[in-house]
Amino acid sequence: MESRVLKPVLAVYTLLFILFLYAPFFVLAILSFQSGPEGGPQFPIIEWSTYWYRHIFGMVPPSRIAPLPLGEALFRSLTLAFMTMVTSTVLGVMSAQAFRRKFKGSGLAFYLIVLGMMVPGVLTGLGVSLLANNILGIERHWWSTGFVTHVVYTFPFAFLVMLAILNRFDASVEEASWSLGVSPARTFRKVTFPLIFPGVLSAMLFAFTLSYDEFSRTLFASGRDQTLPLAIYGTFSVEIHPNVFAFGVLTTVFSFALLSVYAILMTLSVRRAKKVAMQEDIA
Amino acid sequence: MTSQQPVFRLEGVSKSYGSVTALRDITLSVNGNEYISVLGPSGSGKSVLLRVIAGFDVPDSGRVVLEGRDITDVPAYERGIGFVFQNFALFPHLTVFENVAFGLRNGKVPVAAPDVEQRVKDMISLVGLAGMEGRGVHQISGGQKQRVALARTLVMAPRLVLLDEPLGALDANLRHRMRNELRAIREKLGVTFMHVTGSETEALAMGDRVVVLDHGRIAQFARPDQVYGQPATPSVAHFLNRYNIFEGELSGKRFTGPFGMIDAASVTPADKPACAIRYDRMKVEEEGAPGEGPAISASFVASEYLGSSVMYFFEAADGRVIEVEHHLSLGQPQSFEPKRRYRLRWKPEDAIVFGRG
Amino acid sequence: MSGTAVRQAPQQKSRSSAPWLIAPGVLWMLVFLVTPILLIVYVSFWTQTTFKIEPTLTLQSWKAFFGSDTYLNSLWTTVRIWLIVLASTFIIGYPTALFVGLFVKNKTLSTVLLVICVIPFWTSFLIRVLAWRPMLGKEGAINILLQKFGIISQPIEALLFTELSVIIGMTQIYVVFMVGPIAFMLGRIDPNIIEAARDLGAGFGRIFWKIIFPLSLPGVVVGAIFVSVMVLGEFATAAALSGRKVNLLGNIIVTQVGSLKWALASVVGVILTIVMGLVIAGFLRIVDLKREL
Repeated sequence: MESRVLKPVLAVYTLLFILFLYAPFFVLAILSFQSGPEGGPQFPIIEWSTYWYRHIFGMVPPSRIAPLPLGEALFRSLTLAFMTMVTSTVLGVMSAQAFRRKFKGSGLAFYLIVLGMMVPGVLTGLGVSLLANNILGIERHWWSTGFVTHVVYTFPFAFLVMLAILNRFDASVEEASWSLGVSPARTFRKVTFPLIFPGVLSAMLFAFTLSYDEFSRTLFASGRDQTLPLAIYGTFSVEIHPNVFAFGVLTTVFSFALLSVYAILMTLSVRRAKKVAMQEDIA
Repeated sequence: MTSQQPVFRLEGVSKSYGSVTALRDITLSVNGNEYISVLGPSGSGKSVLLRVIAGFDVPDSGRVVLEGRDITDVPAYERGIGFVFQNFALFPHLTVFENVAFGLRNGKVPVAAPDVEQRVKDMISLVGLAGMEGRGVHQISGGQKQRVALARTLVMAPRLVLLDEPLGALDANLRHRMRNELRAIREKLGVTFMHVTGSETEALAMGDRVVVLDHGRIAQFARPDQVYGQPATPSVAHFLNRYNIFEGELSGKRFTGPFGMIDAASVTPADKPACAIRYDRMKVEEEGAPGEGPAISASFVASEYLGSSVMYFFEAADGRVIEVEHHLSLGQPQSFEPKRRYRLRWKPEDAIVFGRG
Repeated sequence: MSGTAVRQAPQQKSRSSAPWLIAPGVLWMLVFLVTPILLIVYVSFWTQTTFKIEPTLTLQSWKAFFGSDTYLNSLWTTVRIWLIVLASTFIIGYPTALFVGLFVKNKTLSTVLLVICVIPFWTSFLIRVLAWRPMLGKEGAINILLQKFGIISQPIEALLFTELSVIIGMTQIYVVFMVGPIAFMLGRIDPNIIEAARDLGAGFGRIFWKIIFPLSLPGVVVGAIFVSVMVLGEFATAAALSGRKVNLLGNIIVTQVGSLKWALASVVGVILTIVMGLVIAGFLRIVDLKREL
């Protein structure tokens, strides 16, 4: 059958494809070990060194290359991402809960919410800037106009995740709770929420990640003080140096480590639950 | 034993979903300390009936009255009516103990912890699950889940417990055993149970009285022996799976069917004329054998051995299937030749004639 | 939707708490999304002087845009690059999606492959864009490798700081958004259908065009919408990789806002919105028809 030829061909293709995806990262990683401060972000490698990694942490003598404004920008990015995560998850859970019953205008509400992920950052950023600057006459800040635009972007994602979770949620446990005399509010707290919590968690993770790396909306909407992506963007038109690459490697490794820890914890807890179940069965 | 006070009443309750009418003008009165079975095929509205009583669905018209109090507009969590779900609906994130204790711990009026402990422990023993308090919901069998669901509801001391096909998710053996247990538990506590099922044997075996639902209407509400022996409508006779039903014409008290004419002593009112004869009220005779009373010719097809009885299948001239049941306690089974014609005879008083008399 | 959507139960005195639950979200979007967009349209008609802007309505900025070759070029460039990137992400991404979605039977393996495709996203978007510079430059990795293997004798100059570099960069960054939805739709194809077709004697080519591709179409459209939304709103990749040579609509908005030329920025914003609206509406036409079938 032709698939005998096709499958290996496609397999090789996919391998090349993955290499294509990772190529910049490899280059980035290699160049992060460029010697400094004279070494630039291009080949050849003058000398292998960890200079730029040390540069990030301020452990090298000052040179004409300014360190990345990491400290404050990082703090702002994290705070903003946290605020966005909380707000968009709350909105997402409430809105998805509303969609469990048919109500008038539900179609319109749905598209209105999903619109937030369809409009590119330049437009929402521009619009919010106009709103702030030209109509309301207020200043733009990452924690006001920036925050607001981030939520517009992440809320639809949180909403869709929660919608999918609640769609598959069997409401009979809620009805059981009511039949036992427990009020709907308390039922949500004690029954519904604990059961949808994994979904809430993934919505939160999603929202945090989207906000943390977000920059096109933030570019317009955050005013003077920069978030991390903006700080990096600032280096675009000027010279770039391998410290940016070192930073990229560090953050990637960090995210990778976080997710590995999460995966290991999950596997361990699942395995532990299975062991307990087996023991009980034998007993 | 059954108290004469109605524990709840439905008055003229109707409910539709879009163009589908699930309940039509239901009026029903149920007493305290009674076991009620609700029987009907799917689409008869039996689950909707339960949900309306429980407060999960709101009727389009009519009233629901519990112990004299109109609860039609009262939300489910304030009704004090227990509900056991077909899929048990146990709280998967709680242990057996926590499941049973849930209502006591989270109701409007908090119950003191030692009381909760005691009541929950007692109830868990009552349903036969002593020792399983610490188990998770995924670590117990189907039958055990059933008991947890029961215990959880009963510990709240409701005046009425609704059970929606509670035995449907259990295998046949377990189902049989649970039937007796359910009755025993109910009697011990003196609560009224209302048990919905699609199985006629289950409905007849469990209920002190049986409600038979047909397309959203109550077709009959009587004791099991009355429902079994005197079905109120041809539909009821049909659900029971124990009657051969013949269509025909009725004029006065004379019924004309595929077997000829019979004169009925009384006619049960129904929309369409029909004549129902129970499977075990027919006798098989040789063709041409002398005999009195109405009879129909049919050829033998097959027989089915059911343990305490044998079911014989015949095919009449018009192709309809006629079943004859022979209880083995009455005598040895006969053997018949396939494709041979026989006469199936019954006593006129054993035929139930329906129609507008 | 599950049965809970049909049955209603008044658990509070008010028959439905839905309005209260949905209001905050809807309100947020109305104030912070719809109003700003409407504002863009409004401001595009404002009068812009060198130092300030006022609400007097005029077509001045619109005329400035359509009267200028540079700006009109940017419109064509944006559309052109969008089409090219769309095509390239489709062409490059589809075979991979085919492999992962259709040919890989083991579910764990396909999940692993998809996760591998997603990992690059954990590196900040901007840094990934930047990483292309040392790849494409005259002394960049690609040129070095090609020269080492003797494929070329002179470094290819056109790789960096041209439109090509922007296209390459965008394709690589956005291709995953094409692979994901397509692989998903392909994974849902019942293998029995393909078996049946083969039993009837159809060759792979036929099977592909008549069965596999049409069934994957909703995924293609979803992927196309994702990619289009991102590419049309792009400006960072162009800024980083083209050395100011490639001016997309997004770039114009950024520069104009930088010099506080709000009215012109808004004009470009409106044009971008219209283009996006047409594109999405066009794609949704295809998908909806397919979904009905």
